Amino acid sequence: MADRNALLKQIGETSFTLDELRLYLDTHPLDENAMNAYAEHADRRRQLLNEYADRFEPLTCDCICTETNGSDGTKTQYPGQKHWTWADGPIPWDTEANAYAESAAGTKGGI
Amino acid sequence: MWTYEKRLQFPVRITKTCPKTASLIISQFGGPDGELAASMRYLSQRYSMPCKETGGLLTDIGTEELAHLEMICAIIYQLTKDLTPEQAKTAGFDAYYIDHTAALWPTAAAGVPFNACEFQSKGDAITDLTEDLAAEQKARTTYDNLLRVIDDPDVTAPLRFLRQREIVHFQRFGEALEKIKDRLDAKNFYYYNPEFDKQFVKA
Repeated sequence: MADRNALLKQIGETSFTLDELRLYLDTHPLDENAMNAYAEHADRRRQLLNEYADRFEPLTCDCICTETNGSDGTKTQYPGQKHWTWADGPIPWDTEANAYAESAAGTKGGI
Repeated sequence: MWTYEKRLQFPVRITKTCPKTASLIISQFGGPDGELAASMRYLSQRYSMPCKETGGLLTDIGTEELAHLEMICAIIYQLTKDLTPEQAKTAGFDAYYIDHTAALWPTAAAGVPFNACEFQSKGDAITDLTEDLAAEQKARTTYDNLLRVIDDPDVTAPLRFLRQREIVHFQRFGEALEKIKDRLDAKNFYYYNPEFDKQFVKA
């Protein structure tokens, strides 16, 4: 089973593919290949977001479910108690939430 | 309307405090070609666009710019969150520190506060899309300049991602401009305002 960071990385990649395809389809609304790719990645993203919310915390408002969120129970102030899960997990702009970033060590400067 | 998603569009993980770098990158928050101006530019221009596909594109790109604003702020936050007064004093961050401590406040690198005059919402689709094309290139140039003076690979990775997005947005705005021109008389693309002189726009 993928851990928190591996799942976040997959969510980031699938979501970015959708961001890119959405802008492309805005100006190429008849491209069937792009539409098929969009549908495929949108399905994958829904699955990943639901799996992440079930195990850790919800990343979108649609995934908030105080009954089922966060079976892992580690990143909350209220382990074992029924609670509002939207604030669970690290805050997005902290390094902890971005631990899945690939190491850029050794990358040279410049453009 | 908008909803929030609790993650950055591209991860930002910076471990080395560097107020000097923060004081340069802050231009992409509140500077003339920064992400705040970008999102407000597109989200303001979209209402009066003569074709709804272009209004839709401006909404989607303006929304992505909000995510870029969040990434830039995350970079500055992580570069300064463990700041000591001594570091603030020696790294050219002292003037900002006096007024804002380590909070985020939109300003250009040279100290000019964010100003809505940085962007135009002119009510002419040709004018506004041409401004948008220039805006994406100006932002790309700013990222080029940042990448030439910043060495920390943890900082340059997200900056490179943001630079690439400027290029993609330029391409999409170019296509949107062509689409608007398709609906005008080819002999007179630049003669009328397609948002206002609607009699010259093909159905």
